[in-house]
Amino acid sequence: MAYGQAAGDELRAPHDVAPGEPLLALESITKEFPGVKALQGVSFNLRRHEVHAVCGENGAGKSTLMKIISGVFAPTSGRIVYKGEERRFASPLDAEAVGIAIIHQELNLVPHLTVAENIYLAREPRRGFLIDRRKLRADAKACLDRLGVAIDPNRLVRELSVAQCQMVEIAKALSLNAEVLIMDEPTSSLTEQETRLLFKVIHDLKAAGVGIIYISHRLDEMAEIVDRVTVLRDGRYVATDDFAKTTVDEIVARMVGRSLEEKFPERTSTPTNDVILAVNGLTRNGVFADVGFELRRGEILGFAGLMGAGRTEVARAIFGADAIDAGTVTLEGRQLVIRSPRDAIAAGLAYLSEDRKAQGLAVKMPVDANMTLANMDEVSNRFGLIDFARHADAARKYVDLLSIKTPSIKQPVRLLSGGNQQKIIIGKWLFRKSRVLFFDEPTRGIDVGAKFAIYKIMDELAAEGIGVVLISSELPEILGMTDRVCVFHHGRITGVLETARTDQEEIMRYASGYGRPDSRH
Amino acid sequence: MTMTVTTPPATGKPSGRLSDRQKDLLQKFAALGSLLVLIVVFSLSSSAFFTVNNGMTIALQVTSIALLGIGATCVIITGGIDLSVGSVLALAGVIAALAVKELGMPVPVAMMIGILTGSLCGVVNGVLVTKMRLPPFIATLGMMLIARGVALQITGARAVSGLGESFGELGNGALFRIVTIGDDGFPNVVFPGIPYPVVLMVVIALAVSLMLNRSVLGRHIYAVGSNAEAARLSGVNVSGVTCFTYILSGSLAGLTGCVLMSRLVTAQPNEGVMYELDAIASAVIGGTSLIGGVGTISGTFIGSFVIGILRNGLNMNGVSAFTQQIIIGLVILLTVWIDQLRNRR
Repeated sequence: MAYGQAAGDELRAPHDVAPGEPLLALESITKEFPGVKALQGVSFNLRRHEVHAVCGENGAGKSTLMKIISGVFAPTSGRIVYKGEERRFASPLDAEAVGIAIIHQELNLVPHLTVAENIYLAREPRRGFLIDRRKLRADAKACLDRLGVAIDPNRLVRELSVAQCQMVEIAKALSLNAEVLIMDEPTSSLTEQETRLLFKVIHDLKAAGVGIIYISHRLDEMAEIVDRVTVLRDGRYVATDDFAKTTVDEIVARMVGRSLEEKFPERTSTPTNDVILAVNGLTRNGVFADVGFELRRGEILGFAGLMGAGRTEVARAIFGADAIDAGTVTLEGRQLVIRSPRDAIAAGLAYLSEDRKAQGLAVKMPVDANMTLANMDEVSNRFGLIDFARHADAARKYVDLLSIKTPSIKQPVRLLSGGNQQKIIIGKWLFRKSRVLFFDEPTRGIDVGAKFAIYKIMDELAAEGIGVVLISSELPEILGMTDRVCVFHHGRITGVLETARTDQEEIMRYASGYGRPDSRH
Repeated sequence: MTMTVTTPPATGKPSGRLSDRQKDLLQKFAALGSLLVLIVVFSLSSSAFFTVNNGMTIALQVTSIALLGIGATCVIITGGIDLSVGSVLALAGVIAALAVKELGMPVPVAMMIGILTGSLCGVVNGVLVTKMRLPPFIATLGMMLIARGVALQITGARAVSGLGESFGELGNGALFRIVTIGDDGFPNVVFPGIPYPVVLMVVIALAVSLMLNRSVLGRHIYAVGSNAEAARLSGVNVSGVTCFTYILSGSLAGLTGCVLMSRLVTAQPNEGVMYELDAIASAVIGGTSLIGGVGTISGTFIGSFVIGILRNGLNMNGVSAFTQQIIIGLVILLTVWIDQLRNRR
């Protein structure tokens, strides 16, 4: 079934679903992959005027369920009822044609085309053989206006921020007359302010009769917009509740199948006065300036700040991934000369990137190859030939030590969950005997249970005398895990705070550049 | 539309039930199987096909594709491409021949200079790709034109002949050749021997295979192709590793050039046109992914034999050169399509 030209700009009137009847209902959906039951008898329904959150740990079956709703997969068994009629989608186009649109976490826009061209891609209004550019722009503008966002339809998508791209995706969904909108982790890379705007748009869509399926790990944000929440665990349906009548703790308990009393482990390491890493006057022109801090043995040092404040950039520069213009880095009393990541690794530094798939892992390669990649000398002889026995031993040791869940050390890492992938990267650096580890957003996109495990590993590393720096945009994480926190604003450290004696408000003040005048800078 | 839920919908392809490892084996056996089918078909259609002599002929014909294919495989695993090898082999062969003829150098030294010429072209390719950050396609396209141009220029586009018998030894000699002098005084070939080029091909294939599978360098080559940024942040010398693959490819092109010119005992500046495409095709038929990160020497070896046997067998059956091109083109499309099916998930 081809999808035709959008009939009009107004949303279809919601008279086609009887009041009280769900807009979309899934009945005992089962989906089997070779050797795996991804979903088992899951039921779910969505009403008009509702935001329905789907929660679950990674691997719980959320994405599979969304792919079934949006026509990517066909269910092995079970029924999909949309507007009272049983449907079977052969492809995402089928689902889109009847008004089910999905906005993926990784946005699917063409960077070199304009906003308007992206919204009407493959559905361009035509005049004869040519594209009717004027109508294209006008229609796109109408879509964007309806969302209340000020984006010029003539701008190229590659010039837009992530948040703006998301708005374009939503506009595109609206132009398709979407009545069911699936949003997968929409806020994961948005700033506080951008999240506000997104929520406002969601509110408006809801009022207009759209049913929204909202997938997120950020339970704290949900209170503002979510009406009902469905929890999945291990491919099975657990419960559906009115969000107002449940608590975050209850949801988390259902997700992990046990009650999780604390989000953060008790800290066992105690900071000493022994300085492991000292950074002075570090400058990269136009990016950050005069950054200095000390990391002490036994402590976890936090880097807090808004997006683009320079936290990641500083860590990358210390690690040699980007060049510096001035400054010194001293590790255990020895001043380092770092020109490349190789120098930094040789000196004992490690950087765990915020983007695991793009920068942390060779995803096509198996667990063992990734684990040993930074320390091949340790598993090879002097002729440069790999000793496969030692190679396998090393991989197994860290798989056990970090409780990595994988069928074998030969499993390609792309098939593992985010938490296990992160643990493989940690294993890689432990095997390299790194002295200082920079964790950049280590728990982003990782489920609750695995987060706890990562925190615990960080604490144990600190207790063993390894330097740990935690870069995080989540203030609860900073407050829950660190001993001290360096707050970044606009490429400078505006304050170094004792975690025990500060709070979110104070950190935010420094992060927005309104710290006390007697602070370091 | 009526709907029943009794039969599971046909979403997956048959191979969807196989593990990655099984799929890899399947791919290998698919290529190997088609190779066997080709052999059986040609044996039945032509009595001269399945003989020791023809076997050696095929092996000899395959050497150039295989040697170039081995280099191409390494380059492609890093996510690059080397279009220059056909021209580089001509330049290398011509320079080796001129060194003998014009400078009076001994043949082994001259051939070493030929091989080093290939290495040098590889160095330039590597520097263009890693230091000047040119796309590999463009860098090696430039080298393809330049090397061919230089080869034609220094020879005046004429073949270099009169190189002496010893120049032909590498290409025409054989190991374990058994010849008896018959009663009639004519030599009688008991066993044609294993041609030196075939020995070279096997030794180099084994060596490069060992390098890719068992050495740290090989691991780094796969890592660069799988994710260059992750490899860099893990301390892999990405530029060095990438350069190495171009140098290897260039050196093997240089060697191929020497072997080919030696076989003809004449250096042709027009030799090896479009050989780079055979090399890339053999790698691709053998399962090397043009996206990088995936590929094996054994696969490429099978791939080059598929091409070689197709050519030889079609020749023996009197199929015209034009039709041969069509058939080989179709085989490439078919195998890559099978590979796509395998990788789709």
